[in-house]
Amino acid sequence: MSRPVLEFVDVIHEYPGSPPVRALDHVTLTVSAGEWVAIVGPSGSGKSTLLNLMGALDQPTTGTVRIDGHDLAGLDDEQLSALRGRALGFVFQSFHLLAGMTALENVATALVYRGVPAAERRERAAAAMSRVGLGHRIGHRPAQLSGGESQRVAIARALVGAPSLVLADEPTGNLDSRTGEEIMGLFQELHREGTTLVLITHDQGIAAAAPRRVGIRDGKIVVSTRDGVTV
Amino acid sequence: MTAPLVAPSTDESRSPAPVPRSVLTPRDALALGVQGLRGRRGRALLTSVGIAIGIAAIVAVIGISASSKANVLAVLDRLGTNYLTITPGQTLGSDEQAQLPPESVGRLSLLDHVQSVAATAQLGVTVRRTDVVPATNTKGTVVLAAEPDLLSTLNGRLRGGRWLDATPRDYPTVVLGVTAASRQGVDLSAGGQLVWIGDQWFAVVGILDEMPLAPELDNAALISTAVATQKFGYQGSPTTVYLRTSPADINGVRDVAAATADPVSPQEVDVTRPSDAIEARAATDSAFTTLLLGLGGVALLVGGVGIANVMVISVLERRGEIGVRRALGATRRHIRTQFLVEALVQAALGGLAGVLLGGAITVGYGLSMGWPIDLPVVGLAGGILAALVVGGVAGLYPASRAARLEPAQAVRPS
Repeated sequence: MSRPVLEFVDVIHEYPGSPPVRALDHVTLTVSAGEWVAIVGPSGSGKSTLLNLMGALDQPTTGTVRIDGHDLAGLDDEQLSALRGRALGFVFQSFHLLAGMTALENVATALVYRGVPAAERRERAAAAMSRVGLGHRIGHRPAQLSGGESQRVAIARALVGAPSLVLADEPTGNLDSRTGEEIMGLFQELHREGTTLVLITHDQGIAAAAPRRVGIRDGKIVVSTRDGVTV
Repeated sequence: MTAPLVAPSTDESRSPAPVPRSVLTPRDALALGVQGLRGRRGRALLTSVGIAIGIAAIVAVIGISASSKANVLAVLDRLGTNYLTITPGQTLGSDEQAQLPPESVGRLSLLDHVQSVAATAQLGVTVRRTDVVPATNTKGTVVLAAEPDLLSTLNGRLRGGRWLDATPRDYPTVVLGVTAASRQGVDLSAGGQLVWIGDQWFAVVGILDEMPLAPELDNAALISTAVATQKFGYQGSPTTVYLRTSPADINGVRDVAAATADPVSPQEVDVTRPSDAIEARAATDSAFTTLLLGLGGVALLVGGVGIANVMVISVLERRGEIGVRRALGATRRHIRTQFLVEALVQAALGGLAGVLLGGAITVGYGLSMGWPIDLPVVGLAGGILAALVVGGVAGLYPASRAARLEPAQAVRPS
């Protein structure tokens, strides 16, 4: 098996309260380079908490989370931010494109915090736009793009930095089913090209597209299948 | 980065290379700040207006008062500062007004370094527009006997007409000060005019320009000493002696002027240098100037509060953007910098507009008053700097709020 890009070892995550709310309960999970994993669960199952930990946006209460080999424990804000910027690409349900910028500038923003010079940023952003099939829309503003196009721009933004892992949180949640299928087709292509993908969704139908599916309920991993085989 | 990102692991093969730090170059930070404002142009413009008004008020007040001072100094430059005014002071041991001896003028003119001496003497008669105006209605105009060389001694100018005649013609002649002319309603452009002084008609032959060094002449009616002696029994005891010296020796002359004017009781003689008083007045900021500066400061403060207010709202509205940027690698510090730069850019734009506006007001006002324009560079730079300080302080709170936002919450669809 190839290099692990994401490792959860006996992870517990609790939100403060009395009694504390346990959102993740002894989760152990490894995602290797080149894999496409769908995390499926109903709302309240702990999906979002899982995503926050995978995205280095939060720290586990106990247990170990490693992203691209880096243990999150003991990392400060500077280091967590750097890890997010270098190792991860995010795709959100509501796209989160910046309204004041063109599509190209939105994509190029992903390289700003890496100190990439402006000219190179534009070049690489244009290449990423072409890769998601939007080479002709680089000068458009988010308001002028359809939902599907917006999500493609967001995917280009997640890809432009060549991250070890792309995290997609309900990427089709705001799209009609046809456009959603197109986006899933794009993920399929990216997977074939070798991108490591984690897709988080409540929709079994969407999750079915992924070769590996991990079911989560009440903070626990309840089922894990790879290519239809329970593992 | 010097320290590795992970604690040393027992499994060597897993120890990854440290992740390079996220950066935000100053150029990118500035671009982000400008971009943030471009997205909210109308709001940014309105917010900057407060700063602009404050800075404009401060710059205009500084510019106008500097130009006014420059004007005073230019006037003094033209008139010269080498004048002394000698007047009778208080008599010792009584409240009576002292008198200068009639021969004081002659004695003063003999002093070394004195270039010119001229005297005026107040006469106990009134001037009226016509003989039917009551004697009490003088409109504050006094009648002075003046020596013919008064005008040249004071470097004075006539606004119209001519100076007193050496020899009287049909009527005795009078020259009015500029205030006296307007109060008495005398306008030479309407032709020859007469005024009633004492108990007879005098012809107005000239009107003086303003006399900054001898403002007491502005509301005076001047007749020659010869006429005063002949018509009103003037005894030759001057009430004011004007004295022009060579510029380098004015202090030496000043020291001996009192004793020269009245050797018997020099302590009863007042010697003043009118240019001193004018300079002192120009140097003192009036209460009005202070008030305007204060108002400008208040406008600036309100402008700063406006920026802070709008930025706080902006931070709430841009939770998504903050979350995305954090996900893209921005640290808390980068987010804080971005919002701080945005506040600074906004304040700087307001400050620049304010400096331009304040400069324009100064130039416009200065031109309308015929003053030399003096816009102190320190004032302009200070205006921009003040705006930046206000913007920076105003941006601190919203920027730290933006930085504190948890990225996981910021990206969640609301």
